[in-house]
Amino acid sequence: MSRYWYTREGMENRANRFRQTKPQPVITMDYSIGQHDFVNAGKASGDIKLALKKIGVDSAVLRRVAIACYEAEINVTAHAEGGLIHANIFPDLIQIIVTDTGPGIDDIEQCMVPGYSTATDYVREMGFGAGLGLPNIKKNTDALFIESTKGGHTVLEIIIFYE
Amino acid sequence: MSKKTYFHAIKLIPEKCTGCTKCVRVCPTEALRLRNKVVELDASRCIDCGKCVAACSFGAIETYADDLQVIGKFAYKLAIISTSFAGQFGDGISYETAKRGLLHMGFDAVASEAMVTEMMGLMIREYVSNHPHIKPILSSNCPSIVRLIQVRFPSLLPNLLHIEAPMSVLATYFRNKICSEQKLDSSEVGIFLIVPCVSQVTAVHQPEGTYVHLEDGAISIGDVYQYVMANIKEIQADTTPMEVYPKGLSWAISGVEAEEVNDGSIRTMDVSGVHNVIDILHNIENNQLGVYDYIVLNSCANGCVGGVLNVENPFVAISRIRHLMRNATHKDFHDQLFIDLYRQDRFNVIPLEPRPIMALDDNIKNALTKMKQINEILEKLPGLDCCACGCPSCSALAEDIVAGKAELDDCIVRMRRLKETNRGE
Repeated sequence: MSRYWYTREGMENRANRFRQTKPQPVITMDYSIGQHDFVNAGKASGDIKLALKKIGVDSAVLRRVAIACYEAEINVTAHAEGGLIHANIFPDLIQIIVTDTGPGIDDIEQCMVPGYSTATDYVREMGFGAGLGLPNIKKNTDALFIESTKGGHTVLEIIIFYE
Repeated sequence: MSKKTYFHAIKLIPEKCTGCTKCVRVCPTEALRLRNKVVELDASRCIDCGKCVAACSFGAIETYADDLQVIGKFAYKLAIISTSFAGQFGDGISYETAKRGLLHMGFDAVASEAMVTEMMGLMIREYVSNHPHIKPILSSNCPSIVRLIQVRFPSLLPNLLHIEAPMSVLATYFRNKICSEQKLDSSEVGIFLIVPCVSQVTAVHQPEGTYVHLEDGAISIGDVYQYVMANIKEIQADTTPMEVYPKGLSWAISGVEAEEVNDGSIRTMDVSGVHNVIDILHNIENNQLGVYDYIVLNSCANGCVGGVLNVENPFVAISRIRHLMRNATHKDFHDQLFIDLYRQDRFNVIPLEPRPIMALDDNIKNALTKMKQINEILEKLPGLDCCACGCPSCSALAEDIVAGKAELDDCIVRMRRLKETNRGE
Protein backbone atom coordinates (compact mmCIF):
# COMPACT_ATOMS: atom_id res chain seq x y z
CA MET A 1 0.00 0.00 0.00
CA SER A 2 1.27 3.47 -0.80
CA ARG A 3 0.19 6.82 0.63
CA TYR A 4 0.64 10.37 -0.54
CA TRP A 5 0.09 13.56 1.47
CA TYR A 6 0.13 17.10 0.19
CA THR A 7 -0.95 20.34 1.86
CA ARG A 8 -0.62 23.74 0.27
CA GLU A 9 1.81 26.01 2.09
CA GLY A 10 0.02 28.07 4.75
CA MET A 11 -2.98 25.72 4.84
CA GLU A 12 -1.43 23.17 7.24
CA ASN A 13 -3.14 24.42 10.41
CA ARG A 14 -6.58 24.63 8.84
CA ALA A 15 -6.25 21.24 7.21
CA ASN A 16 -5.03 19.62 10.46
CA ARG A 17 -7.81 21.24 12.48
CA PHE A 18 -10.38 19.94 10.01
CA ARG A 19 -8.99 16.42 10.11
CA GLN A 20 -8.79 16.39 13.92
CA THR A 21 -12.19 17.91 14.74
CA LYS A 22 -14.02 15.85 12.06
CA PRO A 23 -17.02 18.22 11.75
CA GLN A 24 -20.38 17.08 10.34
CA PRO A 25 -21.00 18.20 6.73
CA VAL A 26 -24.11 20.30 6.08
CA ILE A 27 -24.74 18.80 2.64
CA THR A 28 -23.55 15.49 1.23
CA MET A 29 -23.69 14.34 -2.37
CA ASP A 30 -23.02 10.83 -3.73
CA TYR A 31 -22.36 9.57 -7.24
CA SER A 32 -21.31 6.24 -8.64
CA ILE A 33 -18.98 6.18 -11.65
CA GLY A 34 -19.13 3.36 -14.17
CA GLN A 35 -16.04 1.87 -15.80
CA HIS A 36 -15.26 3.60 -19.10
CA ASP A 37 -18.57 5.47 -18.91
CA PHE A 38 -17.19 8.49 -20.78
CA VAL A 39 -20.68 9.51 -21.91
CA ASN A 40 -21.84 10.34 -18.39
CA ALA A 41 -18.48 11.47 -17.02
CA GLY A 42 -18.82 15.02 -15.78
CA LYS A 43 -22.23 14.64 -14.14
CA ALA A 44 -20.89 14.51 -10.59
CA SER A 45 -18.53 17.45 -11.01
CA GLY A 46 -21.30 19.40 -12.78
CA ASP A 47 -23.73 18.90 -9.87
CA ILE A 48 -21.09 19.70 -7.25
CA LYS A 49 -20.16 22.86 -9.15
CA LEU A 50 -23.82 23.92 -9.28
CA ALA A 51 -24.22 23.37 -5.53
CA LEU A 52 -21.20 25.58 -4.82
CA LYS A 53 -22.55 28.30 -7.11
CA LYS A 54 -25.78 28.19 -5.14
CA ILE A 55 -24.08 28.64 -1.81
CA GLY A 56 -22.16 31.59 -3.20
CA VAL A 57 -18.57 30.29 -3.27
CA ASP A 58 -16.10 32.72 -4.86
CA SER A 59 -15.81 32.16 -8.61
CA ALA A 60 -12.03 31.58 -8.64
CA VAL A 61 -12.37 28.90 -5.94
CA LEU A 62 -15.28 27.39 -7.82
CA ARG A 63 -13.12 27.05 -10.90
CA ARG A 64 -10.49 25.13 -8.89
CA VAL A 65 -13.10 22.76 -7.47
CA ALA A 66 -14.56 22.25 -10.96
CA ILE A 67 -11.17 21.36 -12.46
CA ALA A 68 -10.01 19.09 -9.60
CA CYS A 69 -13.33 17.28 -9.35
CA TYR A 70 -13.67 16.77 -13.09
CA GLU A 71 -10.13 15.40 -13.35
CA ALA A 72 -10.82 12.98 -10.49
CA GLU A 73 -14.04 11.85 -12.16
CA ILE A 74 -12.25 11.27 -15.46
CA ASN A 75 -9.48 9.37 -13.68
CA VAL A 76 -11.96 6.88 -12.23
CA THR A 77 -13.80 6.58 -15.55
CA ALA A 78 -10.60 5.96 -17.49
CA HIS A 79 -8.55 3.80 -15.14
CA ALA A 80 -10.78 2.03 -12.61
CA GLU A 81 -13.43 -0.66 -12.71
CA GLY A 82 -15.88 1.86 -11.31
CA GLY A 83 -16.01 3.96 -8.20
CA LEU A 84 -17.79 6.48 -6.03
CA ILE A 85 -17.61 10.23 -5.60
CA HIS A 86 -18.70 11.53 -2.24
CA ALA A 87 -18.79 15.29 -1.62
CA ASN A 88 -19.07 16.82 1.85
CA ILE A 89 -19.97 20.48 1.83
CA PHE A 90 -19.08 22.56 4.90
CA PRO A 91 -19.53 26.30 5.53
CA ASP A 92 -15.82 26.95 4.89
CA LEU A 93 -14.60 24.11 2.69
CA ILE A 94 -15.50 21.24 0.41
CA GLN A 95 -14.12 17.74 0.88
CA ILE A 96 -14.38 15.36 -2.06
CA ILE A 97 -13.63 11.69 -1.46
CA VAL A 98 -13.19 9.52 -4.52
CA THR A 99 -12.90 5.77 -4.05
CA ASP A 100 -12.49 3.15 -6.72
CA THR A 101 -11.60 -0.45 -7.26
CA GLY A 102 -9.18 -1.12 -10.04
CA PRO A 103 -5.55 -1.30 -10.85
CA GLY A 104 -4.44 0.95 -8.00
CA ILE A 105 -1.56 3.39 -8.35
CA ASP A 106 1.86 1.79 -8.22
CA ASP A 107 3.97 4.88 -7.72
CA ILE A 108 1.98 7.95 -6.70
CA GLU A 109 5.02 10.27 -6.70
CA GLN A 110 5.66 9.38 -10.33
CA CYS A 111 2.03 10.08 -11.28
CA MET A 112 2.49 13.59 -9.90
CA VAL A 113 5.05 14.33 -12.62
CA PRO A 114 3.23 16.12 -15.47
CA GLY A 115 3.14 13.98 -18.60
CA TYR A 116 3.56 10.62 -16.87
CA SER A 117 0.63 8.43 -17.80
CA THR A 118 -0.41 4.81 -17.33
CA ALA A 119 -3.46 5.19 -19.59
CA THR A 120 -4.25 2.28 -21.92
CA ASP A 121 -4.48 2.74 -25.68
CA TYR A 122 -8.27 2.62 -25.42
CA VAL A 123 -8.31 5.57 -23.01
CA ARG A 124 -5.85 7.53 -25.13
CA GLU A 125 -8.04 6.98 -28.19
CA MET A 126 -10.85 8.65 -26.23
CA GLY A 127 -8.69 11.77 -25.99
CA PHE A 128 -7.68 11.30 -22.37
CA GLY A 129 -4.49 10.02 -20.74
CA ALA A 130 -2.20 13.01 -21.24
CA GLY A 131 -0.68 12.45 -17.83
CA LEU A 132 -1.98 15.66 -16.33
CA GLY A 133 -4.76 14.29 -14.13
CA LEU A 134 -3.09 14.08 -10.72
CA PRO A 135 -0.80 17.09 -11.26
CA ASN A 136 -3.86 19.18 -12.18
CA ILE A 137 -5.74 17.97 -9.12
CA LYS A 138 -2.79 18.85 -6.91
CA LYS A 139 -2.42 22.28 -8.49
CA ASN A 140 -6.00 23.17 -7.66
CA THR A 141 -6.25 21.57 -4.23
CA ASP A 142 -5.44 22.89 -0.74
CA ALA A 143 -5.00 19.46 0.85
CA LEU A 144 -4.70 16.15 -0.94
CA PHE A 145 -4.47 12.60 0.38
CA ILE A 146 -4.13 9.46 -1.72
CA GLU A 147 -4.01 5.87 -0.53
CA SER A 148 -3.68 3.07 -3.01
CA THR A 149 -3.12 -0.67 -3.06
CA LYS A 150 -1.84 -2.28 -6.23
CA GLY A 151 -4.65 -4.32 -7.73
CA GLY A 152 -7.05 -3.15 -5.03
CA HIS A 153 -8.61 0.13 -4.16
CA THR A 154 -7.66 3.80 -4.40
CA VAL A 155 -8.94 6.57 -2.13
CA LEU A 156 -8.38 10.16 -3.09
CA GLU A 157 -9.35 12.99 -0.76
CA ILE A 158 -9.49 16.58 -1.99
CA ILE A 159 -9.99 19.53 0.36
CA ILE A 160 -10.51 23.03 -0.96
CA PHE A 161 -11.14 26.03 1.33
CA TYR A 162 -13.47 28.79 0.12
CA GLU A 163 -11.15 31.54 1.37
CA MET B 1 -28.07 40.84 -3.16
CA SER B 2 -27.63 43.31 -6.00
CA LYS B 3 -30.02 46.23 -5.76
CA LYS B 4 -29.13 47.52 -9.23
CA THR B 5 -32.07 48.03 -11.57
CA TYR B 6 -31.72 46.42 -14.96
CA PHE B 7 -33.01 47.67 -18.26
CA HIS B 8 -34.54 45.04 -20.51
CA ALA B 9 -35.75 45.37 -24.07
CA ILE B 10 -38.70 43.05 -23.52
CA LYS B 11 -42.06 43.97 -22.04
CA LEU B 12 -44.66 41.61 -20.60
CA ILE B 13 -48.27 42.32 -21.54
CA PRO B 14 -50.36 40.76 -18.73
CA GLU B 15 -53.69 41.17 -20.60
CA LYS B 16 -52.42 38.94 -23.41
CA CYS B 17 -50.78 36.30 -21.20
CA THR B 18 -52.76 33.05 -21.05
CA GLY B 19 -50.46 31.42 -18.49
CA CYS B 20 -49.30 28.70 -20.89
CA THR B 21 -45.72 28.70 -19.39
CA LYS B 22 -43.97 28.19 -22.75
CA CYS B 23 -41.70 31.16 -22.04
CA VAL B 24 -41.00 29.95 -18.48
CA ARG B 25 -39.68 26.66 -19.86
CA VAL B 26 -37.36 28.10 -22.51
CA CYS B 27 -35.66 30.74 -20.35
CA PRO B 28 -31.97 29.78 -19.96
CA THR B 29 -31.56 31.66 -16.67
CA GLU B 30 -34.90 30.72 -15.06
CA ALA B 31 -35.87 34.40 -14.98
CA LEU B 32 -39.60 33.86 -15.62
CA ARG B 33 -42.32 32.61 -13.28
CA LEU B 34 -46.06 32.33 -13.60
CA ARG B 35 -47.60 33.91 -10.52
CA ASN B 36 -51.30 34.65 -10.06
CA LYS B 37 -51.90 33.34 -13.59
CA VAL B 38 -49.62 35.95 -15.18
CA VAL B 39 -45.98 35.71 -16.16
CA GLU B 40 -43.42 37.75 -14.18
CA LEU B 41 -39.80 38.60 -14.97
CA ASP B 42 -36.91 38.68 -12.51
CA ALA B 43 -34.93 41.57 -14.01
CA SER B 44 -31.67 40.59 -12.31
CA ARG B 45 -31.66 37.16 -14.00
CA CYS B 46 -32.75 38.14 -17.54
CA ILE B 47 -29.97 38.23 -20.17
CA ASP B 48 -32.16 39.55 -23.03
CA CYS B 49 -31.70 36.48 -25.19
CA GLY B 50 -35.22 36.83 -26.61
CA LYS B 51 -36.03 33.11 -26.35
CA CYS B 52 -39.28 33.98 -24.51
CA VAL B 53 -40.33 36.39 -27.25
CA ALA B 54 -39.95 33.67 -29.87
CA ALA B 55 -41.72 31.11 -27.67
CA CYS B 56 -44.85 33.16 -26.93
CA SER B 57 -47.77 32.42 -29.26
CA PHE B 58 -50.00 35.12 -27.81
CA GLY B 59 -47.99 38.30 -28.29
CA ALA B 60 -47.73 38.68 -24.53
CA ILE B 61 -43.99 39.42 -24.64
CA GLU B 62 -43.24 42.47 -26.73
CA THR B 63 -39.84 43.67 -27.81
CA TYR B 64 -38.64 47.19 -27.27
CA ALA B 65 -36.46 49.19 -29.63
CA ASP B 66 -36.12 52.95 -30.06
CA ASP B 67 -38.58 54.90 -32.15
CA LEU B 68 -37.21 56.63 -35.24
CA GLN B 69 -38.28 59.99 -33.77
CA VAL B 70 -35.36 59.90 -31.30
CA ILE B 71 -32.89 60.73 -34.07
CA GLY B 72 -34.49 64.16 -34.58
CA LYS B 73 -32.69 65.93 -31.76
CA PHE B 74 -29.19 65.46 -33.22
CA ALA B 75 -27.48 67.75 -35.74
CA TYR B 76 -25.72 64.81 -37.40
CA LYS B 77 -27.18 61.31 -37.42
CA LEU B 78 -25.30 58.14 -38.26
CA ALA B 79 -26.82 54.67 -38.60
CA ILE B 80 -24.64 51.58 -38.14
CA ILE B 81 -26.28 48.49 -39.55
CA SER B 82 -25.78 44.97 -38.25
CA THR B 83 -24.54 42.40 -40.75
CA SER B 84 -27.81 40.44 -40.62
CA PHE B 85 -29.62 43.44 -42.21
CA ALA B 86 -28.36 42.36 -45.65
CA GLY B 87 -30.21 39.05 -45.46
CA GLN B 88 -33.64 40.55 -44.88
CA PHE B 89 -34.47 41.86 -48.36
CA GLY B 90 -35.76 39.83 -51.30
CA ASP B 91 -34.02 39.49 -54.66
CA GLY B 92 -35.80 42.50 -56.20
CA ILE B 93 -34.18 44.86 -53.68
CA SER B 94 -30.42 45.29 -53.75
CA TYR B 95 -28.37 45.65 -50.58
CA GLU B 96 -27.42 49.19 -51.70
CA THR B 97 -31.08 50.11 -52.03
CA ALA B 98 -31.90 48.72 -48.60
CA LYS B 99 -29.01 50.65 -47.12
CA ARG B 100 -30.05 53.82 -48.94
CA GLY B 101 -33.43 53.52 -47.27
CA LEU B 102 -31.79 54.73 -44.06
CA LEU B 103 -30.86 58.05 -45.72
CA HIS B 104 -34.53 58.42 -46.59
CA MET B 105 -35.41 57.76 -42.97
CA GLY B 106 -33.43 60.85 -42.01
CA PHE B 107 -29.90 59.63 -41.36
CA ASP B 108 -26.99 61.68 -42.71
CA ALA B 109 -24.76 58.68 -43.21
CA VAL B 110 -24.90 54.90 -43.02
CA ALA B 111 -22.06 52.62 -41.93
CA SER B 112 -22.12 48.87 -41.66
CA GLU B 113 -20.69 46.39 -39.19
CA ALA B 114 -19.31 44.47 -42.18
CA MET B 115 -16.84 47.29 -42.85
CA VAL B 116 -14.78 46.47 -39.80
CA THR B 117 -15.02 42.71 -39.37
CA GLU B 118 -11.71 42.10 -41.15
CA MET B 119 -9.96 44.56 -38.81
CA MET B 120 -11.68 42.86 -35.89
CA GLY B 121 -10.11 39.59 -37.00
CA LEU B 122 -6.64 41.16 -36.84
CA MET B 123 -7.37 42.74 -33.45
CA ILE B 124 -8.64 39.45 -32.04
CA ARG B 125 -5.57 37.55 -33.29
CA GLU B 126 -3.32 40.14 -31.66
CA TYR B 127 -5.32 39.90 -28.42
CA VAL B 128 -5.04 36.10 -28.46
CA SER B 129 -1.27 36.22 -28.98
CA ASN B 130 -0.90 38.81 -26.20
CA HIS B 131 -2.83 36.63 -23.74
CA PRO B 132 -1.33 33.15 -24.16
CA HIS B 133 -2.08 32.26 -20.52
CA ILE B 134 -5.85 32.67 -21.02
CA LYS B 135 -7.32 29.72 -22.89
CA PRO B 136 -9.75 29.97 -24.49
CA ILE B 137 -10.54 33.65 -25.11
CA LEU B 138 -14.31 34.05 -25.47
CA SER B 139 -15.92 36.43 -27.97
CA SER B 140 -17.75 39.48 -26.65
CA ASN B 141 -19.95 40.30 -29.69
CA CYS B 142 -23.16 38.89 -28.32
CA PRO B 143 -24.49 40.98 -25.39
CA SER B 144 -26.66 38.08 -24.20
CA ILE B 145 -23.63 35.84 -23.85
CA VAL B 146 -21.67 38.52 -21.98
CA ARG B 147 -24.57 38.76 -19.52
CA LEU B 148 -24.92 34.97 -19.37
CA ILE B 149 -21.28 34.74 -18.29
CA GLN B 150 -21.83 37.50 -15.71
CA VAL B 151 -24.81 35.76 -14.13
CA ARG B 152 -24.04 32.04 -14.49
CA PHE B 153 -20.29 31.70 -15.21
CA PRO B 154 -18.56 34.59 -13.42
CA SER B 155 -15.38 32.51 -13.10
CA LEU B 156 -15.00 32.86 -16.88
CA LEU B 157 -15.18 36.68 -16.97
CA PRO B 158 -11.36 36.95 -17.32
CA ASN B 159 -11.65 34.83 -20.49
CA LEU B 160 -13.82 37.41 -22.28
CA LEU B 161 -12.23 39.32 -25.14
CA HIS B 162 -11.86 42.80 -23.67
CA ILE B 163 -12.46 44.59 -26.95
CA GLU B 164 -15.81 46.17 -27.85
CA ALA B 165 -18.13 44.43 -30.33
CA PRO B 166 -17.68 45.57 -33.98
CA MET B 167 -20.62 47.99 -33.98
CA SER B 168 -19.37 49.70 -30.81
CA VAL B 169 -15.84 49.86 -32.21
CA LEU B 170 -17.35 51.60 -35.23
CA ALA B 171 -19.33 53.96 -32.98
CA THR B 172 -16.11 55.07 -31.28
CA TYR B 173 -14.35 55.48 -34.62
CA PHE B 174 -17.15 57.46 -36.27
CA ARG B 175 -17.79 59.66 -33.23
CA ASN B 176 -14.17 60.81 -33.44
CA LYS B 177 -14.18 61.12 -37.21
CA ILE B 178 -17.49 63.00 -37.47
CA CYS B 179 -16.71 65.38 -34.61
CA SER B 180 -13.43 66.45 -36.20
CA GLU B 181 -14.59 66.52 -39.84
CA GLN B 182 -17.94 68.23 -39.23
CA LYS B 183 -16.64 70.46 -36.39
CA LEU B 184 -19.37 69.20 -34.09
CA ASP B 185 -19.52 68.56 -30.38
CA SER B 186 -20.02 64.91 -29.42
CA SER B 187 -23.47 65.76 -27.99
CA GLU B 188 -24.62 66.93 -31.45
CA VAL B 189 -23.72 63.61 -33.08
CA GLY B 190 -26.33 60.89 -32.78
CA ILE B 191 -25.13 57.33 -33.42
CA PHE B 192 -27.79 54.66 -33.81
CA LEU B 193 -27.43 50.93 -34.25
CA ILE B 194 -29.79 49.02 -36.53
CA VAL B 195 -30.05 45.80 -34.60
CA PRO B 196 -31.27 42.20 -35.06
CA CYS B 197 -32.08 41.39 -31.44
CA VAL B 198 -33.24 42.72 -28.09
CA SER B 199 -29.90 42.14 -26.40
CA GLN B 200 -28.33 44.75 -28.69
CA VAL B 201 -31.04 47.22 -27.63
CA THR B 202 -30.26 46.52 -23.99
CA ALA B 203 -26.53 46.83 -24.66
CA VAL B 204 -27.08 50.32 -26.08
CA HIS B 205 -29.26 51.43 -23.17
CA GLN B 206 -27.30 49.74 -20.41
CA PRO B 207 -23.83 48.95 -21.76
CA GLU B 208 -21.38 46.77 -19.84
CA GLY B 209 -17.75 47.80 -19.59
CA THR B 210 -17.78 50.93 -21.74
CA TYR B 211 -15.40 53.77 -20.89
CA VAL B 212 -17.32 56.49 -22.71
CA HIS B 213 -20.76 57.14 -24.16
CA LEU B 214 -20.99 55.27 -27.44
CA GLU B 215 -24.44 54.99 -28.96
CA ASP B 216 -27.62 57.04 -28.67
CA GLY B 217 -30.21 54.46 -29.57
CA ALA B 218 -31.00 51.10 -31.15
CA ILE B 219 -33.56 50.72 -33.91
CA SER B 220 -34.98 47.36 -34.88
CA ILE B 221 -34.12 45.87 -38.28
CA GLY B 222 -37.82 45.04 -38.57
CA ASP B 223 -38.79 48.73 -38.30
CA VAL B 224 -36.28 49.71 -40.98
CA TYR B 225 -37.52 46.86 -43.20
CA GLN B 226 -41.06 48.16 -42.77
CA TYR B 227 -40.02 51.68 -43.79
CA VAL B 228 -38.00 50.53 -46.81
CA MET B 229 -40.80 48.33 -48.12
CA ALA B 230 -43.39 51.08 -47.68
CA ASN B 231 -41.23 53.62 -49.56
CA ILE B 232 -39.52 51.31 -52.01
CA LYS B 233 -40.39 53.19 -55.25
CA GLU B 234 -38.91 56.44 -54.01
CA ILE B 235 -35.78 54.74 -52.61
CA GLN B 236 -35.19 52.78 -55.82
CA ALA B 237 -35.46 55.94 -57.90
CA ASP B 238 -32.65 57.51 -55.88
CA THR B 239 -29.19 56.84 -57.30
CA THR B 240 -26.98 58.00 -54.41
CA PRO B 241 -24.04 55.56 -54.36
CA MET B 242 -23.69 53.45 -51.22
CA GLU B 243 -20.51 51.74 -50.04
CA VAL B 244 -20.83 48.06 -49.23
CA TYR B 245 -18.37 45.60 -47.73
CA PRO B 246 -19.72 42.24 -48.85
CA LYS B 247 -16.98 40.05 -47.37
CA GLY B 248 -17.58 41.21 -43.82
CA LEU B 249 -21.28 40.42 -44.05
CA SER B 250 -20.58 36.83 -43.20
CA TRP B 251 -20.21 37.66 -39.51
CA ALA B 252 -23.99 37.46 -39.19
CA ILE B 253 -23.65 33.71 -39.73
CA SER B 254 -22.40 31.43 -36.98
CA GLY B 255 -19.36 29.45 -38.06
CA VAL B 256 -17.73 32.22 -40.02
CA GLU B 257 -16.08 34.47 -37.45
CA ALA B 258 -14.01 31.64 -35.96
CA GLU B 259 -12.79 30.68 -39.46
CA GLU B 260 -11.84 34.25 -40.33
CA VAL B 261 -10.01 34.87 -37.08
CA ASN B 262 -8.10 31.64 -37.59
CA ASP B 263 -4.98 32.19 -39.70
CA GLY B 264 -3.86 28.59 -39.21
CA SER B 265 -1.69 29.31 -36.18
CA ILE B 266 -4.48 29.06 -33.57
CA ARG B 267 -7.47 26.87 -32.81
CA THR B 268 -10.91 28.41 -32.93
CA MET B 269 -14.52 27.27 -32.63
CA ASP B 270 -17.96 28.77 -33.24
CA VAL B 271 -20.90 27.88 -31.02
CA SER B 272 -24.47 29.07 -31.46
CA GLY B 273 -27.75 28.61 -29.61
CA VAL B 274 -27.90 29.55 -25.94
CA HIS B 275 -28.21 25.97 -24.64
CA ASN B 276 -25.19 24.85 -26.67
CA VAL B 277 -23.29 27.83 -25.32
CA ILE B 278 -24.19 26.88 -21.73
CA ASP B 279 -22.86 23.34 -22.33
CA ILE B 280 -19.62 24.74 -23.73
CA LEU B 281 -19.20 27.19 -20.84
CA HIS B 282 -19.57 24.28 -18.38
CA ASN B 283 -16.83 22.43 -20.27
CA ILE B 284 -14.57 25.47 -20.23
CA GLU B 285 -15.11 25.82 -16.48
CA ASN B 286 -13.76 22.26 -16.07
CA ASN B 287 -10.76 23.09 -18.31
CA GLN B 288 -11.94 20.65 -20.97
CA LEU B 289 -11.42 23.04 -23.87
CA GLY B 290 -8.00 24.41 -23.00
CA VAL B 291 -6.63 23.53 -26.46
CA TYR B 292 -8.76 26.27 -28.02
CA ASP B 293 -7.43 29.81 -28.34
CA TYR B 294 -10.64 31.59 -29.31
CA ILE B 295 -14.27 30.55 -29.11
CA VAL B 296 -17.09 32.55 -30.69
CA LEU B 297 -20.34 32.33 -28.76
CA ASN B 298 -23.71 33.40 -30.11
CA SER B 299 -26.95 33.17 -28.16
CA CYS B 300 -29.10 32.77 -31.26
CA ALA B 301 -29.00 29.53 -33.24
CA ASN B 302 -27.10 30.17 -36.52
CA GLY B 303 -25.80 33.53 -35.28
CA CYS B 304 -27.22 37.05 -35.50
CA VAL B 305 -29.50 36.10 -38.43
CA GLY B 306 -31.50 34.28 -35.73
CA GLY B 307 -32.25 37.45 -33.71
CA VAL B 308 -35.91 38.15 -32.91
CA LEU B 309 -35.92 41.65 -34.46
CA ASN B 310 -35.10 40.26 -37.93
CA VAL B 311 -37.91 39.74 -40.39
CA GLU B 312 -36.61 36.88 -42.51
CA ASN B 313 -36.18 33.22 -41.67
CA PRO B 314 -32.52 32.75 -40.67
CA PHE B 315 -31.80 30.15 -43.36
CA VAL B 316 -33.16 32.37 -46.13
CA ALA B 317 -31.09 35.25 -44.71
CA ILE B 318 -27.96 33.06 -44.66
CA SER B 319 -28.46 32.01 -48.26
CA ARG B 320 -28.95 35.63 -49.39
CA ILE B 321 -25.85 36.81 -47.56
CA ARG B 322 -23.77 34.02 -49.10
CA HIS B 323 -25.17 34.92 -52.52
CA LEU B 324 -24.23 38.57 -52.00
CA MET B 325 -20.70 37.65 -50.95
CA ARG B 326 -20.18 35.36 -53.94
CA ASN B 327 -21.23 37.97 -56.47
CA ALA B 328 -19.47 41.02 -55.11
CA THR B 329 -15.93 42.29 -55.28
CA HIS B 330 -14.11 42.58 -52.00
CA LYS B 331 -13.23 45.97 -50.61
CA ASP B 332 -10.66 46.72 -47.93
CA PHE B 333 -11.18 49.11 -45.08
CA HIS B 334 -7.94 50.77 -44.11
CA ASP B 335 -7.91 53.97 -42.13
CA GLN B 336 -5.19 55.68 -40.09
CA LEU B 337 -7.60 57.16 -37.51
CA PHE B 338 -8.99 53.68 -36.87
CA ILE B 339 -5.51 52.24 -36.34
CA ASP B 340 -4.55 55.18 -34.09
CA LEU B 341 -7.62 54.69 -31.91
CA TYR B 342 -6.87 50.99 -31.68
CA ARG B 343 -3.25 51.62 -30.70
CA GLN B 344 -4.48 54.06 -28.02
CA ASP B 345 -6.63 51.23 -26.56
CA ARG B 346 -9.79 53.20 -27.28
CA PHE B 347 -11.71 50.06 -28.28
CA ASN B 348 -10.99 48.33 -24.99
CA VAL B 349 -13.59 47.25 -22.46
CA ILE B 350 -13.38 47.71 -18.67
CA PRO B 351 -13.04 44.32 -16.90
CA LEU B 352 -16.61 43.21 -16.28
CA GLU B 353 -18.15 42.66 -12.86
CA PRO B 354 -20.03 39.48 -12.04
CA ARG B 355 -23.81 39.67 -11.64
CA PRO B 356 -24.24 36.63 -9.41
CA ILE B 357 -27.81 35.39 -9.35
CA MET B 358 -27.17 31.82 -8.38
CA ALA B 359 -26.37 32.23 -4.67
CA LEU B 360 -29.28 31.40 -2.36
CA ASP B 361 -28.05 33.89 0.24
CA ASP B 362 -25.30 36.49 0.74
CA ASN B 363 -24.00 34.46 3.67
CA ILE B 364 -22.58 30.99 2.93
CA LYS B 365 -23.89 29.50 6.19
CA ASN B 366 -27.42 30.72 5.49
CA ALA B 367 -27.15 29.56 1.90
CA LEU B 368 -26.18 26.06 3.09
CA THR B 369 -29.15 25.96 5.47
CA LYS B 370 -31.42 26.97 2.61
CA MET B 371 -29.90 24.34 0.35
CA LYS B 372 -30.62 21.69 2.96
CA GLN B 373 -34.25 22.85 3.16
CA ILE B 374 -34.46 22.85 -0.66
CA ASN B 375 -33.16 19.26 -0.80
CA GLU B 376 -35.78 18.20 1.77
CA ILE B 377 -38.57 19.85 -0.23
CA LEU B 378 -37.27 18.29 -3.46
CA GLU B 379 -37.86 14.84 -1.99
CA LYS B 380 -41.55 15.69 -1.68
CA LEU B 381 -41.86 16.95 -5.26
CA PRO B 382 -42.54 14.62 -8.21
CA GLY B 383 -39.47 15.63 -10.25
CA LEU B 384 -41.46 15.95 -13.48
CA ASP B 385 -40.44 19.55 -14.23
CA CYS B 386 -43.94 19.95 -15.70
CA CYS B 387 -44.07 23.68 -15.01
CA ALA B 388 -47.75 23.53 -13.92
CA CYS B 389 -46.84 25.39 -10.71
CA GLY B 390 -45.43 28.24 -12.77
CA CYS B 391 -41.77 27.46 -12.01
CA PRO B 392 -39.50 26.07 -14.74
CA SER B 393 -38.51 22.99 -12.72
CA CYS B 394 -39.15 21.21 -9.42
CA SER B 395 -35.83 22.51 -8.10
CA ALA B 396 -36.82 26.08 -9.03
CA LEU B 397 -40.09 25.59 -7.11
CA ALA B 398 -38.19 24.26 -4.11
CA GLU B 399 -35.92 27.32 -4.22
CA ASP B 400 -38.93 29.63 -4.48
CA ILE B 401 -40.62 27.93 -1.52
CA VAL B 402 -37.54 28.44 0.65
CA ALA B 403 -37.31 32.05 -0.55
CA GLY B 404 -40.94 32.54 0.56
CA LYS B 405 -42.17 33.15 -2.98
CA ALA B 406 -44.19 29.93 -3.44
CA GLU B 407 -45.84 27.15 -1.43
CA LEU B 408 -45.63 23.38 -1.49
CA ASP B 409 -49.33 23.31 -2.42
CA ASP B 410 -48.49 25.06 -5.69
CA CYS B 411 -47.52 21.60 -6.96
CA ILE B 412 -50.77 20.21 -8.28
CA VAL B 413 -49.25 16.85 -9.18
CA ARG B 414 -48.28 16.30 -5.55
CA MET B 415 -51.73 17.42 -4.39
CA ARG B 416 -53.40 15.00 -6.76
CA ARG B 417 -51.18 12.11 -5.70
CA LEU B 418 -51.78 12.85 -2.02
CA LYS B 419 -55.52 12.85 -2.66
CA GLU B 420 -55.31 9.49 -4.43
CA THR B 421 -53.28 8.01 -1.60
CA ASN B 422 -55.78 9.27 0.98
CA ARG B 423 -58.67 7.84 -0.99
CA GLY B 424 -56.85 4.50 -1.21
CA GLU B 425 -56.63 4.32 2.56
